[in-house]
Amino acid sequence: MANLNIDAVKERTFQAIVIGSGLSGSWAAKELCEHGVKTLVIERGRDVKHIKDYPTTNMLPYEFEHRGQIPLEVQNENPVVSRCYAFREDAAHFFVKDKEHPYVQEKPFDWIRGYQVGGKSLLWARHVQRWSDFDFEGPARDGFAVDWPIRYKDIAPWYSHVEKFAGVSGNKDGLPNLPDGEFLPGYPLNVVERYFQDQLKKNYGDSRHMILARCAHINGNFDYYAQQGRAKCQSRNLCQRGCPFGGYFSANSSTIPWAEKTGNMTMRTDAVVHSIIYDEEKGKATGVRIVDAHTKEMEEYFADVLFVNAAALNTNLILLNSTSNRFPNGLGNDNGLLGKYVAFHNYRAGISADHEGHVEYTTQGGRPTSGYFPRFRNVLKQETDFLRGYAAGFSASRNVYPDTGGIGLDLKERLLNPDQYGPWKVGSHMMGETIPKESNYVALDPNQKDEWGMPLLRINVDYDDNDEKMVKDYLEQMTEMFEKAGFTNIQTRDDHRAPGLDIHEMGGVRMGKDPKTSLLNGNHQLHAVPNVYVTDGASMTSTATQNPSLTYMAFAARAAHHAMKTK
Amino acid sequence: MKRRDALRSLALITGGLVLVPSCDFSKEDIINAYQNLKITPSLKQLLADIAETIIPAGNIKGAADIEVQDFILVMVNDCMEEDARNSFSSGLTGFEDFSKKTAGSSFGQLDQKQKESLILTGLSTEEESQKDIRDFLRMTKRFTTQGFMLSEYIQTQVKPYSLIPGEYKGDVLIADIKTERING
Repeated sequence: MANLNIDAVKERTFQAIVIGSGLSGSWAAKELCEHGVKTLVIERGRDVKHIKDYPTTNMLPYEFEHRGQIPLEVQNENPVVSRCYAFREDAAHFFVKDKEHPYVQEKPFDWIRGYQVGGKSLLWARHVQRWSDFDFEGPARDGFAVDWPIRYKDIAPWYSHVEKFAGVSGNKDGLPNLPDGEFLPGYPLNVVERYFQDQLKKNYGDSRHMILARCAHINGNFDYYAQQGRAKCQSRNLCQRGCPFGGYFSANSSTIPWAEKTGNMTMRTDAVVHSIIYDEEKGKATGVRIVDAHTKEMEEYFADVLFVNAAALNTNLILLNSTSNRFPNGLGNDNGLLGKYVAFHNYRAGISADHEGHVEYTTQGGRPTSGYFPRFRNVLKQETDFLRGYAAGFSASRNVYPDTGGIGLDLKERLLNPDQYGPWKVGSHMMGETIPKESNYVALDPNQKDEWGMPLLRINVDYDDNDEKMVKDYLEQMTEMFEKAGFTNIQTRDDHRAPGLDIHEMGGVRMGKDPKTSLLNGNHQLHAVPNVYVTDGASMTSTATQNPSLTYMAFAARAAHHAMKTK
Repeated sequence: MKRRDALRSLALITGGLVLVPSCDFSKEDIINAYQNLKITPSLKQLLADIAETIIPAGNIKGAADIEVQDFILVMVNDCMEEDARNSFSSGLTGFEDFSKKTAGSSFGQLDQKQKESLILTGLSTEEESQKDIRDFLRMTKRFTTQGFMLSEYIQTQVKPYSLIPGEYKGDVLIADIKTERING
């Protein structure tokens, strides 16, 4: 019997365990496996194999029973996920339904999740902008949160490392606040987007820029990506279904199969991580407890080093639930700050307008990206009555459509031969930095548990006065820029959406220099349990304005190499 | 999707047999596939006739040829709010009365021109008592055009849908675009 037990433990022992197979976890797994580390990847959802498990990827519009629309009954049962722009008939199977995975909203919070191998990397918007020191130095300069323990120079080589492998298309723009990277050729901006660039130059000199957003799509160096089985992005704009070409970066098409190919990765799917095992004698974490998603039985797995990449809020949940005599309030939580200083991106505001010029032009074909405004507010110094600022998307488009008046053969002819060109439509949406605060937090519900025995997460996150001022400023500044460019019929909106719908929730396990005021050190290790690394959104000390995924990938790769060096 | 197809076939087998040339729909079976609507086979046929008037057959197939009525009923049943569903049902059920009152005879007895004129009248009526007729026709027109243009027939045989739209061009002169005219 004793031998049997030893064998069982042996079978369940690895050199490293990575919790979560999404965008950041798969990067940790890839780096570890590539360098010979026997790694167990634990995923709470089902397996999703590249191509094979993308059931809708090549479906034509008529093959969707509701032509893409989600039926009312499903919407009513799942109001949160139904608010997500990508929750449509073609990708609904990759989203968590509210009904199946409840949580407690102390304040409204739209928690959008993807429980499967690859996580939300199948569904993300794929924009990848680097941070600069204007972002890393933000908290120290402006006196909020705590100082980041790292600077741009620490992460720059890792940005390069992940950009090269993931494949990032973009232009070298030479902007100090949005550093250039390892770019494949960029996609074209259209004639009206270029016109708007010229107008900005004329009206604002060099102080405001609208550039091509860098995106994680393959648009060059094809032989290199062929090694991953990935090919040029075909601009289908059906990314959320999973891409049969591997044209954009997802864990499923890139890092997971790469890790698998080394022979060093073991994937355990359908395993809900309950907690991390802390050994008081050894003074370190020794493994994880999981609950099998189907049998509900608890199992244990062991390793020397653990990566927690469960996606920001679930990483908080696992750590809060990892209690022991040494850590009664959650793993590494000596200062009581675990779960606190949660932040997000403010996506509330947008603007649209018409452009009456360039009537002789239109566009053809598809493009997986759009225009992008790097933050221009408070970059060099504080200049407004709110802290920090916002980035913004921008795009111009022109559609041909039919006159749909009347009925009969005449209508039929017009539907089949659309010939109406309206004015160009221009639009933008804000991506505002929010300030992490102790009062924005997540915590475990003391009573309610889910089907797997995990405490429900209570989410208490809200906007503040700084966010309100920023919405106002964005709308004022964009209106001014649009007016100066001669755009007409300008419409502004503040949709008052709940936090979370940005799908950029961050923090709760923040990095910092001082164990008294932060959970993680500059190498992403828990101060108090250094063999536990957190490199997903939970680790963010502040949010900046950039789409955060690229930074999580770079963090994961960097931390994996630190772990291998330390061993 | 399978379940609905099965129900639909079942309805055709059972409900279809009791098709009676009568305006008294209460004698007919309700088609179970659309559980949020009360649809009899003759109402469904009437809907097909209305859709066919909106997009008639000509050089190429029309709405009824590709059974757009199935799509309309699926969309109204599954995707519309209750009050819209009720307007749709009541408009469809009241349509024959509307036809008799406005055009002097039942819809089936009108010629193509009269049918078109009746539907155009219904689409633009501002009379409060005909609100359901108007809402029903607007929904029917919307889903007829959507269902027709996004049908397998149009997307494979008439205007093949391309999953790969080609390289992006951001400054195409409209004058240079050559498109072949499709005769409906």
